[in-house]
Amino acid sequence: MAGESGSALSDPPGPGWFARAGDSDTFASFKASKVAVAAAAVTALLFLLALLAPLLSPQDPFDPAQLELINSRLPPIWTLGASWPFLHATADGQWPFLLGTDDQGRDILSAILYGLRVSILVGFLGVLFSATLGILAGLIAGYVGGAVDAAIMRVADVQLTFPAILIALLIDGVVKSVMGSRITTTAILAVLIASIGLSFWVQYARTVRGSVMVEKNKDYVQAARLIGLSSPVIMVRHVLPNVIGPVFAIATINFALAIITEATLSFLGSGMPDTQPSLGTLIRIGNRYLFSGEWWIVAFPGATLVLLVLAVNLLGDWLRDALNPRLQ
Amino acid sequence: MTTPVLSVQDLTVEFVTRRATLRALDRVSFEIGPGEVLGVVGESGAGKSVTGAAVIGLVDPPGRIAGGEVRLSGERIDNLPAEQLRRVRGKRIGMIFQDPLTSLNPLFRIGDQLVETITTHTDLSASAARQRALALLTEVGISAPERRIDSYPHQFSGGMRQRVVIALALCAEPELVIADEPTTALDVSVQAQIITVLKRLCRDHGTAVMLVTHDMGVIGETADRVAVMYAGRVIEVGAVTDVVRHPLHPYAQGLMGAIPTLADTAERLASIPGSMPRLSAIPPGCPFNPRCPYAYAPCTTIRPELKPPGLRAPAVPGRKVACHLYDPALAPEAAAA
Amino acid sequence: MRAFVEVQDLRRVFDVSKPLLNRIIEREPRRYLTAVAGVTFDIAQGETFALVGESGSGKSTVARMVVGLLEPSGGTVTIDGTPMEGAASAAERQRLRRRIQMIFQDPYASLNPRWRVDRIVSEPIRAFRLFEGEAAIRARVGELLAFVGLHPEDGRKFPHQFSGGQRQRVAIARALASNAEFIVCDEPTSALDVSVQAQILNLMRDLQDRLGLTYLLISHNLAVVRHMATRIGVMYLGRIVEVAPSRELFGAPKHPYTRMLLDAVPDLAHIGRRREPVRGEIPNPISPPSGCHFNPRCPHANDRCRREVPPLADGVACHAIHEGRLEPGRAETV
Repeated sequence: MAGESGSALSDPPGPGWFARAGDSDTFASFKASKVAVAAAAVTALLFLLALLAPLLSPQDPFDPAQLELINSRLPPIWTLGASWPFLHATADGQWPFLLGTDDQGRDILSAILYGLRVSILVGFLGVLFSATLGILAGLIAGYVGGAVDAAIMRVADVQLTFPAILIALLIDGVVKSVMGSRITTTAILAVLIASIGLSFWVQYARTVRGSVMVEKNKDYVQAARLIGLSSPVIMVRHVLPNVIGPVFAIATINFALAIITEATLSFLGSGMPDTQPSLGTLIRIGNRYLFSGEWWIVAFPGATLVLLVLAVNLLGDWLRDALNPRLQ
Repeated sequence: MTTPVLSVQDLTVEFVTRRATLRALDRVSFEIGPGEVLGVVGESGAGKSVTGAAVIGLVDPPGRIAGGEVRLSGERIDNLPAEQLRRVRGKRIGMIFQDPLTSLNPLFRIGDQLVETITTHTDLSASAARQRALALLTEVGISAPERRIDSYPHQFSGGMRQRVVIALALCAEPELVIADEPTTALDVSVQAQIITVLKRLCRDHGTAVMLVTHDMGVIGETADRVAVMYAGRVIEVGAVTDVVRHPLHPYAQGLMGAIPTLADTAERLASIPGSMPRLSAIPPGCPFNPRCPYAYAPCTTIRPELKPPGLRAPAVPGRKVACHLYDPALAPEAAAA
Repeated sequence: MRAFVEVQDLRRVFDVSKPLLNRIIEREPRRYLTAVAGVTFDIAQGETFALVGESGSGKSTVARMVVGLLEPSGGTVTIDGTPMEGAASAAERQRLRRRIQMIFQDPYASLNPRWRVDRIVSEPIRAFRLFEGEAAIRARVGELLAFVGLHPEDGRKFPHQFSGGQRQRVAIARALASNAEFIVCDEPTSALDVSVQAQILNLMRDLQDRLGLTYLLISHNLAVVRHMATRIGVMYLGRIVEVAPSRELFGAPKHPYTRMLLDAVPDLAHIGRRREPVRGEIPNPISPPSGCHFNPRCPHANDRCRREVPPLADGVACHAIHEGRLEPGRAETV
């Protein structure tokens, strides 16, 4: 019966892809899930804040010239007895430090906005790198099969026995000891992205490999073989578009994981330096002052991180369920 | 007249979806007498499997029975509470599905499954039930049942499993057996064996059978009467030889002409243009009218009811057709007069 | 006249062993399944040759070897005088590929769900560089779609927007796109409803008449085979047990298996017929019976049948027929 009603439901050709997407079952289930809508809204807001950080933040926290040590460790503005909406400029025409400042006199709000940028950038590029690596490995393992498949998947098994953070620390340590003091911020960024990519590719590879093994035996692939197309061409043109769906769900959830991993690495001191802090770096800095009563240095970046990761995770969970035909 | 074992009156099943309410069954009516085999045929999307599911109250959500009634030996069963209906299904209606593995639990020996079903629905003791199970296995053609009764389902071949399922369906001595594509998954030579077993057993036990299938060959060999379905409606009912050899409804005529047979020498098969409408786009009036070579004005507006032909065909008891061509009040010549 | 397709002693063995580690631990040897055990037939130009058989008969494996999707373990396939195996250069192999196409069983799996129909149909045209320029290719795709009874505008749609029968038409258009002369049809209508099946079978016949196509038809449906084929080979457990022109096979079947099959098929032409009970089921192809594979189910089997594999001679592989113990004829007359 599912088949009958299913075929009856499939859409007649619509006017354009946008209208079709707006009418699709996935979009309907999205609208029906309040959690998904809320998560998407929060994610979108945080992305927008990160994107517009230079316009929104009162201070450039990466520019040492704007920092005054005299402003260090100021508490949030409302604890100083200021009244709503806290936005009256101080005497010398500066914006007030809404969420307080850290030990170097950095405005916490600005640091969070810029830190959000770094975290999201690392998360995004890390996911991009790990997904590319994993999809490639999964495609080759699934399509070629045999010894190649066995080799790739054994490497993946070994990889899984190490915690992601350990691999990241390992790569970080190796690069730092090789480059020593010549290391630049860009290099650190690259190391973070590489270590995250190398820790998370296995899940993509396994998922893609499973789908490829199903798809490669379908007759449309056989039809492509019949006209003499080479294996790489068939993999990219025919198989890849049909196995990419589940990857998006994994990528969303892994995006949250990547941000956490970056934060963890930065917290442990092998991530972004104090001069260009990510959320993790800010938390590490704040952690030092937690017991001396300056709670705001750690609390606000921490809350932002929790909010971002939670929103992205909920979105990923919903996407995974929506794309899983067995749950429909 | 004796009470029919199964009587279905104006049964309507709807699927409520986000976009629309789809009518999968539209006022379906038929009866099955004691010991009779009624074939329900139709192409995919005709609603034949939904009919089987609706009779036993197993329509999956978002589907629901929206009207009509189902009577088992005169007693209404479509409005029973779920728990009572479940008991009716086990005891008074036996079920055989296309895939025998959906009816057999892979973790239990087939003997235990048979004995459990028998003791649940009859007063027999466990040892008497086991004797009964052995007798049934012999009846369905499993040789040396003493050796095989303690085997697991995976130790049987596909044909043997379907025999076990038949035994399981019959072990509580039901009044009605619903067989949904029982031979479709089997090879031709095995298919013949299963048809023979099913037919013989139901005759011997006086069980009525509702045989749902798309295979006219199987219907021709097994059924006494046949109901042809199209787009959720029964469009013709009659004795199997009548319907196969002299179909009345233009769709049934097209369907019979489209089936190649072993005696075939025709250059071309008759074929019906187009395909079955989707549930979301069933045309008004007669659902077959866009594909029908005889369609005329009333066909696009007035729904034809299933009733005995009053024109063009001899009135044979039990023969009904839903087509204006056979309705003295609506046929083209009536309009001309 | 030389045969267009010649298949000589084709064999295919599959390794169905458990993984290495399991074999070592469980001390099991490698296990092989002989799916096709020496199949020989030829097909004349413009003819429809059918292979019928039940599951495990190896008919689909033969089809896949004939089109080159599967390497044979032994034997040869020759198309119009050119052996498939020995095709010297890549160019020659590609020339051969252009002439052979295939129609698959499941029209839901044989079309890439992410591609529009015009892209699906134009892929062979591009792969073999049959037309230059987008306009010419588009015109050709429209022509092909019209050829199989679809509208050229249908090319902009995705496969899921079509019914099963229409999808099979698209698959046929793709097979014709390379101007193929020989088309292997693997159960082309078994996934379709009967009224749609008739449309597709009629279309296949029309195309054969118009284009002079040669078909190899693989099917388990005897009535379809009867309707379509000029000659028929009956397969049982990897071997051809009987080959005969269609009329002869249905009128006077020789091999006991053919007779059993013909008698077993539920058929509209035989309503109310009393059937001979069919004996037994198909054995597991991993361990087929010795001698003639059909001997455990055959009412005419003797010691020789259990020992020796009967050769295919005079269109039948049966000791009883060769020895004159059995006369050709329908099962009812045996």
